[in-house]
Amino acid sequence: MKPSSNKLRRAVHRTALAAFCASAGLAPALAQSVPGPVTYQLDPNHTFVTFEVLHFGTSTLRGRLGPVTGEVTIDRAARSGDLRLRIPMATLNTGLRVLDARLKQPDLLATTEYPEAYFVATRFQFDAAGGVKEVRGEFTLRGVGEPLSLVARSFACRHDDMLRKEVCGGDFEADLKRGRFGATFGEPFVSDDVHLVIQVEGIAP
Amino acid sequence: MKKLSLLVAALGFFAAAAHAESATYAIEPSHSFATFEIGHFGTSTNRGRFNKTTGTVTLDKAAKTGALDVTVDTTSLDTGTAAFTKHISSDEILNVAAFPTAHLVANKFVFSADGKVTEIAGNLTLLGKTNPVVLKAQNYNCYQSPMIKREVCGGDFDTTIVRSQYGVSYGLNYGFPDSMHLVIQVEAVKQ
Repeated sequence: MKPSSNKLRRAVHRTALAAFCASAGLAPALAQSVPGPVTYQLDPNHTFVTFEVLHFGTSTLRGRLGPVTGEVTIDRAARSGDLRLRIPMATLNTGLRVLDARLKQPDLLATTEYPEAYFVATRFQFDAAGGVKEVRGEFTLRGVGEPLSLVARSFACRHDDMLRKEVCGGDFEADLKRGRFGATFGEPFVSDDVHLVIQVEGIAP
Repeated sequence: MKKLSLLVAALGFFAAAAHAESATYAIEPSHSFATFEIGHFGTSTNRGRFNKTTGTVTLDKAAKTGALDVTVDTTSLDTGTAAFTKHISSDEILNVAAFPTAHLVANKFVFSADGKVTEIAGNLTLLGKTNPVVLKAQNYNCYQSPMIKREVCGGDFDTTIVRSQYGVSYGLNYGFPDSMHLVIQVEAVKQ
């Protein structure tokens, strides 16, 4: 995605957030402040990874993975966190079955041999208001681990009236080179650069 | 008078030459998807993709004009969560049983100096209601496909629509945003 698109997305998110906070009368970053570490279970209805890769320098091919399962522990007072998530590769969905089947082959995602991808992260950065700003860790795909940084485009916590629990989450983005994980088929017609767009929400106990 | 008729003839010639550059492209459904993005309680972004899009695009690169007529099958919605897909498809929101298609018609194409489409303005019909939309290009390119041996043109476009203008007001009173972002991948094959 070009910067203009990201700018637009951020603007959309800010507008949505402002509208929500105005209607609910909440402070934007954190709905409540809890001392000590809290472990949030990732919400399968609101936790997905979408990958974006440029096709023939022309249009962006997208695929969705998830629901992603896992948990994240956040200690706001200590400004630390611990994230462990598993991505079931069989959930790959581009909207096109033949493409899904092709992407699962050994020269791309090799999903038979490597049925899950993992992200484990312990380096959390928080903004002044206590929201998660960046999460750095190790991403393992096709059995190859590489450093990966997830940058927050939005992050907020709320008290969810339906679940009667605190929910924290946001939108994160990351960039990787698929060749480093050995998924090289189709380069350079299909780019080596892969952009990840991640929706995540976690539910407090 | 003679000069005028020469001018008319010359204009006619150039118009004909420009017209000869006009070509029709068929939307390639395997590389054409519309995805909506809408905020979820100010926390994260929910996404849904429509899996079936068909239509045609006419491009005249010399005259820098274009037109498109695209139909999105709203029954092909896919969010990754069956309950969410079902709810959005229901008569509370997109009512796909009564309105199984969304229709985009546009004939105002803006080109950059180097001949790339930068913007497309037209009308979007959703749930039987029509409103103007402007799609902005984030990427645009034409290439010769080595597989099908034809020219393919396409790109990434996006726009933000106000859903209540189409009569979709569900959840506005609980803080679900009225504006939603549409992200469109499109490729079309020269006929």
